[in-house]
Amino acid sequence: MIRRVLRSRGVRKLRQNRWAMLALGVIGLYVVVALFMLATDAVEGIGQRTGGFTIKDRPVLGMLLVDKTLDRVGPNSVPGFFLRDRPERRLEHHQAYLDAVERALNAKDPEAALAELRFGSLRPADLGPDKLRELVDEGWALFDEVDEIYEQIDEAEGQSPGGDQATAPGAGEGEAPNIADLDAAVSDKIDQIEPIVRALFPIPDGLDGFLYRLKMLLGTDRQGRSILIRTVYSIKIALEVGFVTALLAVLVGSILGAAGAYFGGWVDHVVIWLFSTFSSIPSLVLLTVLAFMFTGSRFDGTLIPLYTAFSLTFWIGPCRVIRGEVLKVKELEYVQAATSIGFGRVYILLRHILPNTAYLMFINFSLLFIGAVKGEVILTFLGLGLKNGASWGIMISQSASEVIEGRFWQISAATAFMFGLVLAFNTLTDALQDAFDPKHVS
Amino acid sequence: MWAYILRKILYNIPVYLGIILLLMVLLRVNDPVYAFLGKSASPEQIQVKRHEMGLDRPFLAQYRDFVWDILRMDFSQRSWEQKRPVGQMIRKAVGPSLAITAPSLFLTAIISVTIGLIASFYRGRSVDRTLMLLAVLGMCVSYLVYIILGQYFGAYWPRKALGTSVFAVSVDATVGDEAGYFFVPANWVRFCMLPVLINLVVAMGYDTRFYRAVMVEEGTRDYIITAKAKGASKRKIMFVHMLKNAMIPIVTRVMITLPFLITGSILVEMYFGIPGMGRTLINAINAKDFPVIQAITALLAAVMIVTVILTDVLYALLDPRVRLQ
Repeated sequence: MIRRVLRSRGVRKLRQNRWAMLALGVIGLYVVVALFMLATDAVEGIGQRTGGFTIKDRPVLGMLLVDKTLDRVGPNSVPGFFLRDRPERRLEHHQAYLDAVERALNAKDPEAALAELRFGSLRPADLGPDKLRELVDEGWALFDEVDEIYEQIDEAEGQSPGGDQATAPGAGEGEAPNIADLDAAVSDKIDQIEPIVRALFPIPDGLDGFLYRLKMLLGTDRQGRSILIRTVYSIKIALEVGFVTALLAVLVGSILGAAGAYFGGWVDHVVIWLFSTFSSIPSLVLLTVLAFMFTGSRFDGTLIPLYTAFSLTFWIGPCRVIRGEVLKVKELEYVQAATSIGFGRVYILLRHILPNTAYLMFINFSLLFIGAVKGEVILTFLGLGLKNGASWGIMISQSASEVIEGRFWQISAATAFMFGLVLAFNTLTDALQDAFDPKHVS
Repeated sequence: MWAYILRKILYNIPVYLGIILLLMVLLRVNDPVYAFLGKSASPEQIQVKRHEMGLDRPFLAQYRDFVWDILRMDFSQRSWEQKRPVGQMIRKAVGPSLAITAPSLFLTAIISVTIGLIASFYRGRSVDRTLMLLAVLGMCVSYLVYIILGQYFGAYWPRKALGTSVFAVSVDATVGDEAGYFFVPANWVRFCMLPVLINLVVAMGYDTRFYRAVMVEEGTRDYIITAKAKGASKRKIMFVHMLKNAMIPIVTRVMITLPFLITGSILVEMYFGIPGMGRTLINAINAKDFPVIQAITALLAAVMIVTVILTDVLYALLDPRVRLQ
């Protein structure tokens, strides 16, 4: 059976399409990552239920659990790829580290507080409170110097409003120092703070260090959470949403459409009434009504509202298409031949007619998958989506306030990952249509 | 023709009744009064509110009255949140929504049909490939991303970097309350043009691909071969013969995108603070304002049904064969 399918004309054509194969590869990659997350989730679930073990603290296995998407890994809003941020922001980042240590040092029992102190996955250096105190003081001293320079800058700007660019570099002593020089001095001082911070919180060697760098690779969001972890975790949510809704919609739509077309009569009337009713509700109206319905219920914040919303709106497309195709196929000679041999009607429908509409189901599945992945973003914005953990919808909605401040890491990361998945599915859909739909023109 | 229109209208009546039924049932799954008043409300308060809205009567009676209200276009029930009649809120919101939806719809149709024609004219050549690649790439980015980035680069960034901006970031308190405010050209450019442009870019990806496919398919028909054989120029074939015959799918498509634009304008209205239908609806959802939600959803569904009927009528006008079916 499988060999026959693989040797069929359409599948051969599909396999010759390089782009389609590439798209399948990309989708495969996403699926592998999602399966890894599903597996670790399941293991963790078993561990919690039996109370026997937990993999949360394992560096690799526990890396992509839900909790990890909410954990702080570094200071707030750090840029990705270890780029250097603007001086003021770098100061904020350094300050966060120094504050953390100082708070621990000022606690009643500094030793215990230090032992418990974590900044993300980093722990303070094992130098003893006195040495740490020294380092922190050294850091604050540098901060004071930076403040002084900032004051000088303010003064200089006050003296020559707007005309600071004209001052020649290296103008004589006694004159107000050049603003560019002062800016350089600030960034120099900040560079000096950097080693102190690293001495307070050394990046571990080996695997832990690698994982730390990985988590910081795309920077952090406003709450200091790793953007990379959150984006990768969202793959699982996207694939879940896409797969479940596309499967449900195609199943329901095909069954209704095929039944309506094949049996005709009142069945067909009911099917037509159903899909014209549902397609006459603007999908957004249905979604907002569902949002009203689900808020406050016990499904609020799970994926159930998403599944319901998409299933109610998405089944119409496949239903219409499959109905049209079955209407055509059931008049063909081989179906009449099957009838005359004496096969039952349901048997003919399942064995002879539906397999000939399978390509439409695949195409629709692929299309609806894209619709679901993209729709998740909009529904999350409307309050129908996940509330906890991470998804591309949550990330993009959250990033609106970051963009205003000129931080693009979160929105770019989520968009890029989504772009890859949706583009792969788009390519696949086009290739499927090229390969299986003889009427399709490209 | 009139018989056809009448038939279409009669056919859509049970559909609309079904929609109202569905909406009313869905809205009553969770007790709306309880959701609005919250857990701290006393049973008496809930009882009073329920009675006020008529929610304590049998469902069928409520259904009959609501359908009757819609028929008379009587939305005199008061919003729970704002204490204004729902009808007044809706009348205020229609204008701003139209100021965004209508231009978006119109511009999208014209521009994407043109691009579709160009692409199919150069089918298989580099112009076509580039255009279609751009369309596919454009489709892979979320609508929300377009809005967020469009708002930043269209309004925030110019104001920060250049000190001035043609487009407003969002509608603020200075906006007038009169009915036609957003239709004054200066105001329209300031508040509505950027949202319309964003809508345009988003819709373009899907639509150009669709129109190109329509044109390419139309180009393989026999009458085109005949036209070529009799020596008509390629340009004339494209714009006279083909475009006329492609009108049916084009009209369908434009009508299909209508609900998308209602959807779309909800997001745009939220981000740009435009006081249209979408924003009113979302605010009502957040405030659990049951009368407003019920009225607006029923009205939007009615708009949708009218579009469906209009599509069918336009079909019949464009293609006389349809009427006989």
